[in-house]
Amino acid sequence: MSRFKALLSMFVVCVAAQTLSVALADSKEFVVGASVALSGKYARTGQEQLHGFQMWVDDVNARGGVLGRKMRLVHYDDESKPEVGAKLYEKLITQDKVDLLIGPYSSAVTMAASTVAEKHNFPMVSSGASSAKIWERGYKNTFGLYTLAEVYMDPILEFAKNNGLKTVALIYENTAFPRSVAAGVRTKATALGMKVVFDEEYGKASTDFSSMILKMKAIKPDMVIGGSYLPDSTAFMRQARENRLYAKIFAFAVGPGLPDFGKNLGADANGVMGNTQWEPELKIPGAGEFSKKYKAKYGHEPGYHAGGGYGAGQVLEAAVTRALSVDRDKVRKALYELDIVTTFGRFKVDGTGKQIGKPAYAVEWINGEREIILPKDAATHDPVFPFQDWSKR
Amino acid sequence: MLSKHASLASAAVLVVILAVAPAVLGEYYLSFLTQLLMMVALAQAWNTISGMTGYVSFGHATFFGMGSYAAALLLPLGVPWWACLIAGALVALALSVPLGFLTLRLRGPYFAIAMLGLNEVARVFVTLWVDLTGGGSGITLSPELLPSLTTSYYTMFLIAVAATVIVAAIYHSRFGLELRAIREDEGAAEMVGVNTTRDKLAAFVLSALIPGAAGAVLVMYTSYIDPAAAFAPAVNIQMIVMVMFGGSGTVWGPVLGAGLVMGLREVFWAEFPAAHLMLLGVLLLSVVLFLPGGLMALFTRRKLVRPEVAAGPQERPDG
Amino acid sequence: MALFEPTILLQLLIAGLLTGSLYALLASGLNLVFGVMRVINIAHAEFMLLGAYLAWVLYVYANVHPLLSLFIVVPAVFGIGWVLERTLIEHVVGRPLLTSLLATYGVSIIMVNAGLLVFASDFKSVPQLQGAIVIGELAISKPRLVAGVLAVILTFAVYLFLEITRLGKAVRAVAEHPHVATICGIDVQRIRMLTFALAVAMAAAAGVMLTMIYSFSPDTGADFIQKCFAIIIIGGMGNFLGAFYGGVLLGVVEAFVGGFGTTQWAEAVAYLLLVLVLLIRPTGLKGMADVK
Repeated sequence: MSRFKALLSMFVVCVAAQTLSVALADSKEFVVGASVALSGKYARTGQEQLHGFQMWVDDVNARGGVLGRKMRLVHYDDESKPEVGAKLYEKLITQDKVDLLIGPYSSAVTMAASTVAEKHNFPMVSSGASSAKIWERGYKNTFGLYTLAEVYMDPILEFAKNNGLKTVALIYENTAFPRSVAAGVRTKATALGMKVVFDEEYGKASTDFSSMILKMKAIKPDMVIGGSYLPDSTAFMRQARENRLYAKIFAFAVGPGLPDFGKNLGADANGVMGNTQWEPELKIPGAGEFSKKYKAKYGHEPGYHAGGGYGAGQVLEAAVTRALSVDRDKVRKALYELDIVTTFGRFKVDGTGKQIGKPAYAVEWINGEREIILPKDAATHDPVFPFQDWSKR
Repeated sequence: MLSKHASLASAAVLVVILAVAPAVLGEYYLSFLTQLLMMVALAQAWNTISGMTGYVSFGHATFFGMGSYAAALLLPLGVPWWACLIAGALVALALSVPLGFLTLRLRGPYFAIAMLGLNEVARVFVTLWVDLTGGGSGITLSPELLPSLTTSYYTMFLIAVAATVIVAAIYHSRFGLELRAIREDEGAAEMVGVNTTRDKLAAFVLSALIPGAAGAVLVMYTSYIDPAAAFAPAVNIQMIVMVMFGGSGTVWGPVLGAGLVMGLREVFWAEFPAAHLMLLGVLLLSVVLFLPGGLMALFTRRKLVRPEVAAGPQERPDG
Repeated sequence: MALFEPTILLQLLIAGLLTGSLYALLASGLNLVFGVMRVINIAHAEFMLLGAYLAWVLYVYANVHPLLSLFIVVPAVFGIGWVLERTLIEHVVGRPLLTSLLATYGVSIIMVNAGLLVFASDFKSVPQLQGAIVIGELAISKPRLVAGVLAVILTFAVYLFLEITRLGKAVRAVAEHPHVATICGIDVQRIRMLTFALAVAMAAAAGVMLTMIYSFSPDTGADFIQKCFAIIIIGGMGNFLGAFYGGVLLGVVEAFVGGFGTTQWAEAVAYLLLVLVLLIRPTGLKGMADVK
């Protein structure tokens, strides 16, 4: 019988461990729950996002909390996996009985997590997902903070059109977010009367782009757009140089917006454009101050995921203050009605919970620095155009 | 070996406990148990081919992913969830017959190598077929289409029980004897008249059905599927480690292995998020080196099979 | 179609040959271990990444150029391989092949996840030796050229070692007849330690050069080991030079599939080749008949 006993005792240990953690909760505080990617594909961005959440919790509590109650953050590692994310939101809602929910990082995990939130009719502020598909499912409880992936490249495409560029080569990774960026590029380019002359998906960040680049070279597009993350955009630019691929604009969704892009490419980064959700330099109230505090605390400049994490907290704070409770229905109503500017930028959603208030920002690497170039009113530098040919560098 | 009565009695108690679990447990434990039962089913599936015949499959997650996709594609068309489940199993079946026919002609190591990349090819295939599968964007299922957690739980429970019953039935049958003969010496088995090709194929197909069905249930539980999640290499790792840990080629080993590994994960994962897969590696290595029969070997009084034989066909460097 | 221009075809061929030589360096080590010890080292590509990460660490913290760090990393990984063979792999030599398969699978899981713990999952690379040599219309990547040429030199150096030196002949003797080798007074265990260490050192050398070409993360190894298996099956298991030719062939095929098809198909090509070869000749093209 001992194998049965072993199984049973295993089970009892699990139950006991979980019950204990719930029993320790203090009813005098509000509990905010989130799953964060601390391991797996998105570990690095997840870590920054978590720092953002934690800074917000510290700041709120230093101010005396919300509605006179302190905030406490409960978070778990979702391993960057949708199925683990789903399980964790089930746990946060039914087991930890959290009062408020923040969404996970990445569109893929959010897809799974938001379904759990919807099932429990629990409003969730999502700071790490930007694929419009999330808001096309008729859900009532997912509130986006990020500018949509579909409009990421709009400012750059408009800029290109105004400068007489006609053809676009589009490449993207085959996961949810990059595919959404690509879909947006196709729509916008067609609307502007530009032509997508090359359109190819790739499977991995570690892809060898040389064959792809050689094909592109034969087509000679005016501009190259990548629906990419950091490693693939870096690899692509490196191989573009090795194969002497030239275009007037190189622009990538994620990558040029991050400090590591310049670190990895050095001078080759100059002239590359990209997108960003947020920059410390943006003229948004509180952004500069947040960055300073963040840097003092964690020893590095905050990326936009950190800003988004902090902003998500502020949105919840505003919603609870407006609703005067953490009642799910009242918080949901408040979230729909809110039109505020957080450290992360404007927050205003439409009837599906989709973010419509926040614009897309374009950056460009100029003389080894990341400068905001578009839209004009937020710019820290004029765009440098066209991209300087490799042979003249 | 424990006496047959004790074995049956403990099985009965376990089944009764799991059957009443939804009445007393909260949703989180229920979803934990659903995943545990899924791992039991997957472990038994791997056990059916690799534990029994010694043909190590590094690619069984493929059937799991195929089942997930079958269900995710059919549910939105209005197909009832139980029919999707059957469809998941059938898709796995349809894939496993030609695949098994081709790969099982290969001897042990070549079969292992051929299966190692299968997962990856399936992932690329599903990603490329954008019109059908939505490619890398994945498929989202709306919540009203999905069965309740309790239903998913009971379904997974039935699959796990069915998988265990299949393994038990094989184990005690002539078919099981023939499979073990193949594991110990395929050439000799052939010589005494065992139809090795037919036997291996039958075991392979049975071992593919279960992950197909389990994959269909999982997608109903997560409501979202993308190629990376459906064909995750981690699923292969877990299957293999659980069976090896519990005792490969035995009836209760995979159940024990899945229960212990999932339980340990649940307790440790909150503390060491990134370390738990590494611990699985350590576990696998230790079991292979020091306890080739797995934990079940500790329970058996008389050794039916020598441990070095249990791991696969004999092979010496001087061949 | 502009794709059929001779310069583009030539570029594809060169890209394929250079990548292929790197595959060859990696795969011939794997095949050497299999030939001598009858162990399929699933963790082989993880040793490549070990080399890559060591080079990355040396570059980031001590500003050592990867080509210089070859002289530190390769001996270091040789030492690690030596110790690992003695303490672990030696215990599975002579056991059923599937035992060693599962044991090295365990080593691979441990190395990948230890890598994730230490270096996290974000991709690293070393921006050295960048750019291209331009000859008219042709542009040849500098890091790939250096890596490709070095890979060929290293592989042939090991080949010559096996063919010419006394020690190398001992290695081949153990591969062919361990018992006879023992009787002849060869310390078989030492030869196995040497073989394993040499093989993982070759993988590490490939890894060091990888840092200048690709972005890598702790789980990049999975792509490479799959390719290695395809290569050694194509080239013949246990056949050192066969793996070299197989590697170069795979590199070229991938480049052309990527060029005329899509890069996603190129990713699956290795596996399709492998399955094809296994179906035609269930023991590999130049397979060893005695491998059951």
